[in-house]
Order: sequence, then C-alpha cells, then structure tokens
Amino acid sequence: MWGVIKSVLWAFLGVQRDEQRREDFEKGSPLAFIITGVVLGLLLVAILAVVAVWVAG
Amino acid sequence: MRTLLVRLAGGLTLVGSSQVALASGWNMPVGVTDLSREIYNLHMAIFWICVVIGVIVFGVMFYSLFRYRHSKGAKAANFHENTTVEIIWTAIPLLILVGMAIPATATLKKIYDPSDAELDVLVTGQQWRWRYEYLGEDVAFNSNLATPRAQIRGDEERGEHYLLEVDEPLVLPINRKVRFLFTSDDVIHAWWVPDFAVKQDTVPGFITENWVRINEPGIYRGQCAELCGVDHAFMPIVVHAVEEEEFDAWLAERQEMAAEEAMGIDREWELDELMERGEGVYGSICASCHQVEGEGSPPAFPALAGNEQMLADLEWHKDVIINGVSGTAMPSFRTTLNPVELAAVITYTRNAWGNDSGDVVQPAEIAERLE
Repeated sequence: MWGVIKSVLWAFLGVQRDEQRREDFEKGSPLAFIITGVVLGLLLVAILAVVAVWVAG
Repeated sequence: MRTLLVRLAGGLTLVGSSQVALASGWNMPVGVTDLSREIYNLHMAIFWICVVIGVIVFGVMFYSLFRYRHSKGAKAANFHENTTVEIIWTAIPLLILVGMAIPATATLKKIYDPSDAELDVLVTGQQWRWRYEYLGEDVAFNSNLATPRAQIRGDEERGEHYLLEVDEPLVLPINRKVRFLFTSDDVIHAWWVPDFAVKQDTVPGFITENWVRINEPGIYRGQCAELCGVDHAFMPIVVHAVEEEEFDAWLAERQEMAAEEAMGIDREWELDELMERGEGVYGSICASCHQVEGEGSPPAFPALAGNEQMLADLEWHKDVIINGVSGTAMPSFRTTLNPVELAAVITYTRNAWGNDSGDVVQPAEIAERLE
C-alpha cells in the first residue's frame, strides 16, 4: 500500500525511478493506482482550498 | 549588412534599458494609480525573471552546441534516466512559479476589492458609445466619438487625438476611491484605460466591478478592447481626472442641468427648439449609421430622408426609436436618451432634409409613453 502511495505522489511531481516503474508494472491490475490517484487528487484539491481560504480569508 | 547589425545592436541596447523602453512607448505605462504602479512593477519583475532564465537556458544550449560539436569528434552520452536531474528540473520551475504567484496573488486581491468606494459609476457599453451614470447622484450621459467623419474618411487631416476624443468625457475626482460597475446593452465590450491598468469586459446581463484611485489630475484616454461590431474602433474612452473641489463643483452643475432637463419635459416645446436639439442628438447618436444627411447606407441602415413608412406612421416611428427593431441593427434608445432628446430627435428626423412633415412631438407625450 505504501509503495502505491509513494508511486502516485512521485507521479504528481512527474518523476519516477526506472526500478520503481518496473516494480509497479509487475502488479496485474492498475485499479489500486487509479483509486489512490483519485483519492490523493481530491486530497490535494482540499489542501489547496484550505490554504487559499486560510491565506485570503 | 553592417548597418543592419549596428541597428540591431542599437535596438538591443534600447531594450536593455527599461527607462528607454518606457519612453519608446513599447512597454505598458506605469500609470497614475498605486495599483497600476504595482502591476507595472510586477510585470517588470516577471519580465526580468524571464530574461535571466532565457539567457541561462540559451547560453548553456549554444555553448554545448558549439563546444561539443560533431566536427570536433564529440560523442553523445547514452543513458536512459537520471532521477536527480529530473527532480532538479522539476523543482526549480516549481519554486520560480510559486515565487511569482505570491506577489501576483497579493496584487490580484487588491484589484478585486472595490469595498469602501466613495463614488459609484455605472459604465454601460453600447454599440458604439459608452454611457456613464453616477449612481445616486442623478447624473448620467452618453460619451460619443467626437472625431469628425471627414477625418475618418480621409477627406481631412487627422487631428492630434484622432479616434481618441469624445463629446462628453467621464469626469472623476483624484484621491478618491471610485468603484466602476460595468454592464452592456447589447454585445460584449471592454472598458480599457491603460493609465489606470483597468481593462474590464462589459457583459450584457451581468455586472462586473473594478475600481481606481487616481493620484494625478490629467486627461486619460482608452479604447474598447473587445471586438464589438463595425464601429468598435469608434467608441473611445476619455477620462478627465480633476481636483476634488473641481469635481464636486462639476457634479453640482450637472445635477442642476439634469433638474432643468427634467423640468423641460412638462413644458410645451416649439418646432425650432426641438429641431436644434434634435440635430445635436442625431449627429452624435444616429448619424454613424443613418448618415448626416439621412441618406442611410442601405440595406442595413435605411435612408431616413424621404422614408415613406416613417413619415406616414408617427406612432410606428416613435416605437422604433424607443424600442428598436428586433432582428436588425436598430437598438432601443429607451435608456440611452431622455424624453426631451427622444422627442427632439423624432421631430428632427420628421422635418430635416426635406421631410417637412411639420410634426412636432412633445417631450411630455414621450415621457407618458415611457411609463
């Protein structure tokens, strides 16, 4: 699970090590990455919104 | 070739000095409000950041191209990835962008804060003029292009403020926060005065806001910045920024004029008076489409001189002027003109250029019809 989260967070930055990429592609299903991506994406939006309200509000 | 190089070098030196670039008119103006100065400084800061990045990136690129060229036997390094380098070239732009976003957001917050304004002005875009209404002050007027048509056609020498002059400028006080409320009667226009760093779309059915606090008295000119039809270039903006006492005196005078005009609605008008008034209204409002001599430019803009339908049916004529004709270029003048002006222009068009109908339309009957 931690490995999936780490991969998704690196993907947010747009950088990934080749070994890690190989490891990720050995998993049979992309479902875990998609779900983690959506959840972390929503979390990022929420964090940005809170920061914006905190700074501008 | 040599002179070209000298000129190019001269040009680059010019760009190098921002003061000269400013004087050359290539750059945006510093403007006459605190906010416009702030926007200018932001623009210059980001410009210099871009210059530094450009010099570094292209410097490294050209140096590498030259130093490791094929003819000197350079061999390309062949590797697949380098995570460290990738992290660096992702993190640096991220920091630069955030670094630029912080001051930019601080300025944006100020732009979007029209609170505590001392004066509200409703600015309405119309094809093709601006209408200004000092809210709560009973003062409103249209601001039409004042450049003579002969200059536009090329029959006359162009004046100093060609296409940047109006019959009635917007008058504003200095040192007071003025809030603008923008809207439009027809299509999207944009009210743009570079010296205020204000460029705001005016959208039919919506109200948009902006504000200024002008530091220096002067005459500031601008233009419509959203393509809005054939006369898009013919609806300039002129703002007279005056000392506060001068503004108060001007506003009082305009209020008196408005009160007089309101009284004029009830009295009986003579044909001559209405003709004189109507000629002025026709010249500033109608002539751009229907032409000075009423010959129009068919088929879009019908001739008014000798227009049989218009002369035969007075009630229809009034309706066309007040409500416009849907599906055509003829707009409604219900809010643009007051009852005296409407009566005058209807009377004028029915009696000018040999129309000689003798019809006199009284402001009082127009006022009744508008209710």
